[in-house]
Amino acid sequence: MKKFVSSIFASILLSGSIFSWSLTPAQAETYFPITGSGSTWSQNALDQWRRNVYSNYGITVNYTGVGSSAGRRDFISKTVDFAVSEIPFQSKPEDGSQPEVPLSKYAYMPIVAGGTSFMYNLKIGGKRVTNLRLSGENITKIFTGVIVNWNDKAIAKDNPALTLPNKIITPVVRSDGSGTTAQFTLWMAKQHSSLWNAFCVKLGRQTPCGLTSQYPNFSGFKSQSGSNGVAGYVAQDYGEGAITYVEYSYAKKSGFPVAKVLNNSGYYVEPTAEAVAVSLLEAKINENPKSPDYLTQILDGVYNSMDPRAYPMSSYSYMIIPTEVAGTFSLKKGATLGEFANYMLCDGQRQAEELGYSPLPLNLVQAGFKQIAKIPGASKSANTDISKCNNPTFKPGDKPGNNLLAKTAPMPLPCDKQGSTQCATGQTSGTTKPGASGEDSEGDNSETDPNNPIDPGSGGTGGTGENIYVGPTANGKANLEAYAYEIPKQPWGLNQTLMLIAALLAVLVIVAPAIVVNRINSRKSKGE
Amino acid sequence: MAKKIRSTSLRDPETPDVDFAEKRQLVQVSDFSDKTFAGVARSGGIITLAIMAAVGIFLALRAQAALETQGWNFLTETAWTPENGKFGIAAVLFGTVTIAIIALFVSVPLGLGTALFISEVLPERIKGFAISLVDLMAAVPSVVFGIWGVFFLQANIIPISYWVSSTFGFIPFLAVTDGSGNPLTDPSAFTSSAVIAGFVVGLMVVPTQTSVMREAFSQTPLGEKEGALALGATRWGMIRAVVLPFGRGGIIGGTMLGLGRALGETIAVYMIISPIFEINPQILKSGTNSVSSLIALRYGEASDNGLSALMAAGLVLFLITLVINFTASSIVANSRSGAESN
Amino acid sequence: MTLKSSKNKGTTHLPDNTILAQQPKKRSLRKFRFEDVLDLIGAAASSFAFTWLLFGWLTPLQSTIGFVVSNFFLFLVMYGLISSIKNRGQEIRDRLVSVLLFSAGIILISALLFVVFYTLSRGQLALGNLNFFTQSMERAGPLDPLYVGGILHAVVGTLIQITIALALTIPLGIGTAVFLNEIGGKFAKFVRTIADAMTALPSIVAGLFVLSAFIRTGVVPRSGLAAALAITVMMLPIVIRASDVVLRLVANNLREASLALGASKWRTVWHIVLPTARSGLVTAVILGTARGIGETSPVLLTSGVSSVTNFNPFEGPMISLPLQVFDFVKSPEPTMIARGFGTAATLLLVVLVLFALARALGGKAPGNLTKRAQRAVNKKSAEDQNRIETLMSKSSVIERT
Repeated sequence: MKKFVSSIFASILLSGSIFSWSLTPAQAETYFPITGSGSTWSQNALDQWRRNVYSNYGITVNYTGVGSSAGRRDFISKTVDFAVSEIPFQSKPEDGSQPEVPLSKYAYMPIVAGGTSFMYNLKIGGKRVTNLRLSGENITKIFTGVIVNWNDKAIAKDNPALTLPNKIITPVVRSDGSGTTAQFTLWMAKQHSSLWNAFCVKLGRQTPCGLTSQYPNFSGFKSQSGSNGVAGYVAQDYGEGAITYVEYSYAKKSGFPVAKVLNNSGYYVEPTAEAVAVSLLEAKINENPKSPDYLTQILDGVYNSMDPRAYPMSSYSYMIIPTEVAGTFSLKKGATLGEFANYMLCDGQRQAEELGYSPLPLNLVQAGFKQIAKIPGASKSANTDISKCNNPTFKPGDKPGNNLLAKTAPMPLPCDKQGSTQCATGQTSGTTKPGASGEDSEGDNSETDPNNPIDPGSGGTGGTGENIYVGPTANGKANLEAYAYEIPKQPWGLNQTLMLIAALLAVLVIVAPAIVVNRINSRKSKGE
Repeated sequence: MAKKIRSTSLRDPETPDVDFAEKRQLVQVSDFSDKTFAGVARSGGIITLAIMAAVGIFLALRAQAALETQGWNFLTETAWTPENGKFGIAAVLFGTVTIAIIALFVSVPLGLGTALFISEVLPERIKGFAISLVDLMAAVPSVVFGIWGVFFLQANIIPISYWVSSTFGFIPFLAVTDGSGNPLTDPSAFTSSAVIAGFVVGLMVVPTQTSVMREAFSQTPLGEKEGALALGATRWGMIRAVVLPFGRGGIIGGTMLGLGRALGETIAVYMIISPIFEINPQILKSGTNSVSSLIALRYGEASDNGLSALMAAGLVLFLITLVINFTASSIVANSRSGAESN
Repeated sequence: MTLKSSKNKGTTHLPDNTILAQQPKKRSLRKFRFEDVLDLIGAAASSFAFTWLLFGWLTPLQSTIGFVVSNFFLFLVMYGLISSIKNRGQEIRDRLVSVLLFSAGIILISALLFVVFYTLSRGQLALGNLNFFTQSMERAGPLDPLYVGGILHAVVGTLIQITIALALTIPLGIGTAVFLNEIGGKFAKFVRTIADAMTALPSIVAGLFVLSAFIRTGVVPRSGLAAALAITVMMLPIVIRASDVVLRLVANNLREASLALGASKWRTVWHIVLPTARSGLVTAVILGTARGIGETSPVLLTSGVSSVTNFNPFEGPMISLPLQVFDFVKSPEPTMIARGFGTAATLLLVVLVLFALARALGGKAPGNLTKRAQRAVNKKSAEDQNRIETLMSKSSVIERT
């Protein structure tokens, strides 16, 4: 029901913006175009906001998703006005690389929360699995090369209702410097440090090794650049058996399932907006305005949240905003940036859930407002009025730390609890949206054939509903279909010998006449 | 000897030899407009030279900073972590060369065959059309080949790769195995491989090669060809005896020109491969790398040191292509067909 | 003056064209007999039947590509066998090679055409919407369908970037080529060597140069100008080399004739050399443009990605068509990929048009004119002759009186 309401809401919003096309943006000339680059984790949200602020206010925002590392680098070399990153500037990098030191003043402003999800492509008997469950330990083992096959007993323990196929796991990692990688490796380093350190030892790195933005090279891994790249690979037909770490919105828009991750209270949870909101209640925020990492997140509490609804890999991403006029950044750009930032923190958050993110709660919005006030040229009165902030997580007058979304978050189903039961479906990725029709979520791509989001040319095998693997078949064993690319292996027997003889005879039948004729001809010519 | 010649000479030594008259000094008086013209043309040349020198020197200077820290390790190190001060191009260069060689394996037979087909087999009427078509293909942007490779070839080549690796797996570089040597059967193991990238790049360079080769073949003297045919040679005999030897320079030149382009190709390779920083001798197995796609991948996040390192890699690639191009052009210039075309 | 004072009325002797016309033409020496056709059909039929037998019945092989490949090799074997009944070694080899050459040509041309048509056909989905050409992506977010948003901004970006690049490349490139050919000397040789060397510069390195020399140092922001600079660095050697070849083709006796008539060097170049080589130069520039428009890697590093139409090359990112293709197809979303193919198809069409233009304008040796141009030239020279003759008759009249 909630989904239905939210999709209706989104469609109203979308159609509203479609109608507003005919109106030329009124104050277009008062805004100066601003340019930013960085994270692909939050790119889906930024792209939507960029479009909305253009349609609604005539603000031009250029955003390039080049990866958090490249975004921070661009900010240092002042080729952009703002950058977006999941991790702060690495003044003391843990992987031994050089420190990143911006020359001009800057501040961090949270923009959107979300869950780093594990998008996978797995079929049992030709049907897509959508209810895979994984514990943190297994995830770490998969991404450090300890578990290499889907039929590993450890994964089976997480999934009592699935007969997982004998298929090699292809972990897909980011080839570019990425904040998603940094968040993921930070989580592994903190929560499963022995496994992560063992991996580092295997690669000849120093231990203890902390977070890194460049995922280490490892054989059997596939590396792709950008969130789009990894999600795109997993979504291909040949991506069967692949799993990757990517923001939930990418899985959502390509119509692929994400793994339910085991949280500290023994439930397997998906990175829904509510689950992320619940988790982030435990996020510690660096509240010291003097610290260079002011407002950056400390996520240990999130990883270990005891709430059964919490998704452990939740985090939020920051915009790095300039707080002094330098380089290409001017007061006029500051005014635009302030306006854009206000939109992101308030109205923009209404679409976060629809896109696959989670809206920011009141405390972060308030802190964000303080940062907007630091932007030179930004109008303080217009951009930092909390009572006019149209954010879905709070009503005016709420206490900070209160999150409407977290309050109304549903409890996980009992079948999602660790043990011998397993829910038959995942609630994710549009694949299970009951009766989601074109009208109520316009432009949502989850309706496209989830089997083949890339190639519309090759037809899927049927409707979404029948194609989802829900559990073992009647006789308790999954019906494994012969794999298309495999030549059936038969032992050499009488049949094969007979076939060979037949083939040779056939060759003889064809070749013999020619040879005979040749012989006769040459004899004739000799005779003459 | 000299006497003998003089004695047989029919020319009267007394008459002045008109043919060997001394060259007269021609004095050219340049007026203002001529001087201006020469000045402008020369300054055009100087500006061009300055631009190119700037590129070269800048590249060399920036690369030097990175090369100094690494020394010869730059050529033997496989990892690429300039931030930690440890980087080398062994793996990327290996990938670049593998992809280029595979590209040649695809392009040379096709290009040579097509060049001969157009110049020797096709009737005059269709020839012009075929030539235009192939030349047009040389102008098709590489990103178009790239998306074709990613969206069509990648998925459709898997069964072939699988078949080749399972049938000819005993040949080391055609095998596809995991770390412990067990053959892999997963489709994922066959995507983003050097073969796919090489195939796409090969198709991309064929038109260039074909037109260079065809140009050389088309200059074969008609008399020699007809002579061969008149002596009873078949068409193939004539091609082997006359056309191929005559166009040898064009064949080698075209091949190397294609090789140069294949080494420098960026976007198509970048879109197809899954970059790795280790030497992967199994060409059908997923994972390879190339210098230019490394640059495309890492330019954004590179710090100043990182950029220097990328410059060094780019410089090495540039030098390799340079040597290949110069060899190619000197071969073409010194061959019979090349000498006549200039 | 000289004409007026000359006493004997001269006539122009045209060179005898009949000698040129008598040059040997290639004679067709081959005849394709009906039997040969039958041989081919027979080989094709038997190889197909045999492959079918192999794949469907005798062995557990089952793959379309395997079928085609086996069929081809079997066809070669069969054709060889059939030919061997009537012919000897040389002739058999000749036939087999003919088949191989034929297949190489067909395979290559069809493979290349397939690449093009694959792009065009998958691009249809996006190209079918008119808004694809009239809008930019500024109003299209990740959730929007194909009837929203287009690539106008990329078309504009491409046009602006290539215009700047051409404004730099044409004068510099052709000027340098003129310098190499008409001024000459040791320095020119050196410049030619360096320009030749620079054609080997990988395009991404050109981008890397602009990135580190201009963008990172803050001289030029990531913008259309930066992209145009990168394209210029890449295109300049190509244009120089091509125009150099064209200028070298201008017959030397034309230059000598002009100089002998007392024209200055400058006039010779301006009125004789450049007009003669015009079509070739245009071709050189257009082909260079086609390369410059289609190259993605230099702009990837320099132009930045934008979804709005930016007319200002000096500020703000400005995307171009190839980069837009690259950016679209990175997304796993079907609509974005459809847009990517649509953009690629547009790019292909632009290149195709440029190429056709180059063919129409150039592709001819200097002095080799179209019928219309030839008629114009004839008319002009007839007028000249008239004028001269009237002048002569006048002068002879004056002299007589």
